[in-house]
Amino acid sequence: MSGHHQHERAGRTTSPYAARIRAIEALLLEKGVLTEPEVQDSISYMEARSPANGAKLVARAWMDGRFEELLLSDAKAAALQLGMEPEHPAEFIVVKNTPGVHNLIVCTLCSCYPRAILGRPPDWYKSFEYRSRAVREPRAVMREFGFEPPEDVEVIVHDSTADVRYMVLPLRPLGTEDMREDELVELVTRDSLVGVNVPRS
Amino acid sequence: MTFEPGDNVRVLPSEKPGHVRTPGYLKGKAGWIESLVGEFPNPEELAYGFSGKPERPLYRVGFRQADLWDDYEGPAEDCLYADVYEHWLEPGEGAPT
Amino acid sequence: MGGVHDMGGSPGGPIDRGQHEVEDWERLADAINAALGGKGLQTTDQHRRAIESLEEYRDLSYYERWVAATEKLLVEKGVLTSDEIDERAASIRRHWGEP
Repeated sequence: MSGHHQHERAGRTTSPYAARIRAIEALLLEKGVLTEPEVQDSISYMEARSPANGAKLVARAWMDGRFEELLLSDAKAAALQLGMEPEHPAEFIVVKNTPGVHNLIVCTLCSCYPRAILGRPPDWYKSFEYRSRAVREPRAVMREFGFEPPEDVEVIVHDSTADVRYMVLPLRPLGTEDMREDELVELVTRDSLVGVNVPRS
Repeated sequence: MTFEPGDNVRVLPSEKPGHVRTPGYLKGKAGWIESLVGEFPNPEELAYGFSGKPERPLYRVGFRQADLWDDYEGPAEDCLYADVYEHWLEPGEGAPT
Repeated sequence: MGGVHDMGGSPGGPIDRGQHEVEDWERLADAINAALGGKGLQTTDQHRRAIESLEEYRDLSYYERWVAATEKLLVEKGVLTSDEIDERAASIRRHWGEP
């Protein structure tokens, strides 16, 4: 898929689908099926989301054991507590890495991702290669991202096949005991929230 | 609810056509119920404009990677969880709890 | 086995970790899809089903699949016709100075 992507030309892509979605938009507005503000709100909604939200949830959980408990038992409530709007009606589950367990998230059937929290998934997450391989050879996939869990660490792959969106709560890096929450936020990468890697240290 | 956490289950080897949320690589495979996620409208009916009611129980089902792939590279403890609707599961045997 | 989208466990090459900059029409495709969902005119599973049934699934980019699926559903529901979308898209491309 990537590599095949159509490039912008003079501010507009050459993909015929760019014209088709503009056509669909114009027709839906003309017929009153959608309104301009509805489309704009919908664009703003997604633009407001990014992996920074996930980083905030993780850093707070690292600082505060009770928040971690809430994040793991009711991730939507935890997200609401930090002013985020978790997706409805999909469930949102956060899975915890420990010294003995490493979690990895994939969606083999499409590209389910906690978009309401983290925004759009990265291209590689949507790639046919990741979707095909992450379930069968998760360790090889993580090696490609520069991370190799030790053999005595259990790798758990989560294939989000239905109505749940998953995020990883990574392990807090060693030597960060004295860091403030806003410094910890900076360590949490998007890749570590999907589990293909671990946070910066 | 038909299943409880820890129950051994098997994913039906059904080739039901149309939109389903059970991936092919899990069909016929043995695993265990990890937890109940909740009840949701049936996606197989939602996909064609129906209500999906009554709602169907959705479970997180665990599988040992070694049971899914003959050539799995990695420790025997490695596993995979997927979300599977109850109507895709039957009681199984032999899976770890 | 399942359809073309059911690819878990299939062999695959190295993962391209490059990221393309999201284009405006892709944002729009995303937004229209969400807005139609908000209006109850489309469900996630209908959209997934429409994507899975695209003959050109493997040849299209992610948001191209989204657009094709949204179009398919709107036509299926009688909200728009293929002809009017074709016509308007052609006129937009002419306006852009494309053949």
